[in-house]
Amino acid sequence: VTYTLLAGLKVLEVGRLISAPYCGKLLADMGAEVTKIEPPVTGDPARQYGPFLNDDPHRERSGLFLYVNANKRGVTLNLTTPTGQRILRDLVARSDALVHNLPVQDMGRAGLDYEGLSRINPGLVMASITPFGLTGPYRHYNAYDINLAAAGGICSGLGKADGEPLTFGTPQVGYFAGMAAASSIVMALLARDNVGAGQHIDIAEVESMAGVYNGPEALMAVYQWRMTRRTGHHALDFPYPNCILRCKDGYIFVGAPEGRQWRQLLEVMGSPKWSKDPRFRNRTEMNNRYADELDSYLESWLMQYTKAELLDIALEHRIPLAPVRGYDEVRHDPSLADLFVAIDRTDTGPLPSPGPPYRLPDAESKPPSPAPHLGQHNEEVYCQSLGYTREQVVKMYQTGIV
Amino acid sequence: MNALGNNRGPLDGYRVLDFGWVLAGAIPGMVLADMGAEVIKVESRQRLDYMRMGRPIVGDQPDPEQHPMFHNVNRNKLSITLNTIHQPAIELARKLVTRCDVVIENFSPGVMDRLGLGYEGLRRIKPDLIMASISSTGQTGPLRNLRAYAPSIGALAGLDSTLGYEGGRPLGLKHAYGDICGALHTVFAIVAALYQRQRTGRGQYIDLSMLRATVATQGVGLMEYVMTGRVMQPRGNYDPTMAPYGNYPCEGEDRWVSIAVATDEEWQGLKAALGGPAWTADPKFASRYGRLKHRHELDRHLAQWTAGRSAETVTELLQSHGVAAVPVMGAEERLFNPHFRERGLYADIDHPALGAEPIFNLMWNLSQTPSAIRRHAPLMGEHNRQVFCGILGMSEQELKSLEEAQVIY
Repeated sequence: VTYTLLAGLKVLEVGRLISAPYCGKLLADMGAEVTKIEPPVTGDPARQYGPFLNDDPHRERSGLFLYVNANKRGVTLNLTTPTGQRILRDLVARSDALVHNLPVQDMGRAGLDYEGLSRINPGLVMASITPFGLTGPYRHYNAYDINLAAAGGICSGLGKADGEPLTFGTPQVGYFAGMAAASSIVMALLARDNVGAGQHIDIAEVESMAGVYNGPEALMAVYQWRMTRRTGHHALDFPYPNCILRCKDGYIFVGAPEGRQWRQLLEVMGSPKWSKDPRFRNRTEMNNRYADELDSYLESWLMQYTKAELLDIALEHRIPLAPVRGYDEVRHDPSLADLFVAIDRTDTGPLPSPGPPYRLPDAESKPPSPAPHLGQHNEEVYCQSLGYTREQVVKMYQTGIV
Repeated sequence: MNALGNNRGPLDGYRVLDFGWVLAGAIPGMVLADMGAEVIKVESRQRLDYMRMGRPIVGDQPDPEQHPMFHNVNRNKLSITLNTIHQPAIELARKLVTRCDVVIENFSPGVMDRLGLGYEGLRRIKPDLIMASISSTGQTGPLRNLRAYAPSIGALAGLDSTLGYEGGRPLGLKHAYGDICGALHTVFAIVAALYQRQRTGRGQYIDLSMLRATVATQGVGLMEYVMTGRVMQPRGNYDPTMAPYGNYPCEGEDRWVSIAVATDEEWQGLKAALGGPAWTADPKFASRYGRLKHRHELDRHLAQWTAGRSAETVTELLQSHGVAAVPVMGAEERLFNPHFRERGLYADIDHPALGAEPIFNLMWNLSQTPSAIRRHAPLMGEHNRQVFCGILGMSEQELKSLEEAQVIY
């Protein structure tokens, strides 16, 4: 489903991989008209990232690209040429917002100069997503997801004490930067009449993690409540249990922050003898001192049940158990069926991927459209919107501009 | 200062009634308040926000005014106390709704309806209301009554299934990923609804499931299954397009540096930064494909090189050659890091109970209407008079008697 709350809003996206494209997707899934500008020939590097349909590498069949670029129009444009930059300015004049995630040092070369663009369109809201922001000593730093997770506070606490710090299993930081940019753009547009102009938004990917995501944790360090340490599948200083344990057909998260939940769990387990052990009175101490021993007691009970059976037990007895689900289970969870939209591309057939993650029961909606082929909307945008002739577009193609 | 000559945020003039609590419910209101909205947090001594509980920093008595986490995610808000077990408190809340633009809540599904504060009822008294309900697994569906916390969401969404060493067990994330992910998607839905309301006068109800929000950020993992039928397992520090890609040991106790190399240009930069040791000339590392194929061997060589150097030295040297390298930082390191200090990631804010304490900034930097921390998190009921007398026109006497009756409590 695609909602229409942002109908009429015109957005340009010069996006690669996840951050700016996810910003564009959030806006597009709410009804904004998002035009994605890709470099000619290669396109967005997400087209090379995969995963590819049936493991057949093809720039039109990359799962990451197809997911984060659904509902957009796509054009190709070489922004490093004077003609390319002139066309960009023509597009900017007709747009409300522009989001990009080119590095600071490449912005000027690509014509992404806020001062210049705002002279063409004073109402323009421009969001620049960069790894470390537009200011500060690290502003030119190169960084990928693991670097942003490392500085953003994910890695230091993830892993075993005797192993290297871990990062996410798949790229995650870009989604947070994309959310920050999308909300900031809409807020700047809400304020545009009051301010009397657009504005430039500076989003640092690392801060979209370090700020909102785990900013509060810094306070714990200051007060030395909870130092960052890697403790494997256990979390330090939480009441036991708060960990992922084995069950019959996989793994299950077992938690019980409230005392009554722990008592309920013990009752469901048949009030085992070990639970009367005087060492097991203070659950935080149980967690910090006896977790391995307790894991074996709990696992011997959990191993009798499948994830599905344990989920039923969780629902019936109101105990916080949650199966660690693989992506196949997530995809086929019937309660998430309407989250997935099957976008039909003639070259791939229908491909399910998540639509907007919120439900707006009173909002109008329309069917989603698939991610664009490379340069799919060149004619629509250059000829119909900007008034170039077909001949001119052909010339621009021949000279590597589109 | 912006063109208007003030430092108000873009949401200046909007008012929010915020029933949100703990993290997922508190953060949307925090963001809106940072951005200039007047956010009124509805609390009660009869049902304390969990974030107000915990070990006291000063003294040894539990004190709801001492929790730094609460101070972080509730800065800029006003606090009123309404004891919703009393009907007059519900009536006051309903009156306030008519004076607000947005309502936020994250009680268990159904609670707001039972209190008489459900969306269907509220839209009758405030037709253009925007209301957001945040829950673990949505307001409807078979999982709606599952007791679920942030780690449950990471498990259910697939996020945890790939978090772990290659071939090892899933470890689970130690942060409140699902809460924050849900909260930030909520903010976006709210501002989009405000945008629509500005143009059409329509209200909106937002049903935000933290599970769905987290699933939406699982692009690569989900699409791996959709496109190939394969189900990802824990895979350590791995990216299918990069090698080296990992955290490498450095000089000092538990010090590490993250290094990632994608392009051939970056590989040449790394070779130059290392001074071209013999192993880097091995032809099997010459191509991106070769580096990925032999990544474990590559990791061993690189780890030997980083081991005798500080994370900061490695970072500066590699970045000067265009290679992505950044130290693994704990919260305490970020707090004192020169880059984050210059950008103002943390602000020292005075709180009546604890004095100056670092509060993280939102860092959504809008040039004309920047976010700002304008005041410390509120004390319980600190703004009862301002809100009930100032906004609802209640008399001092009435306020006093409602306080005595523990309605305003």
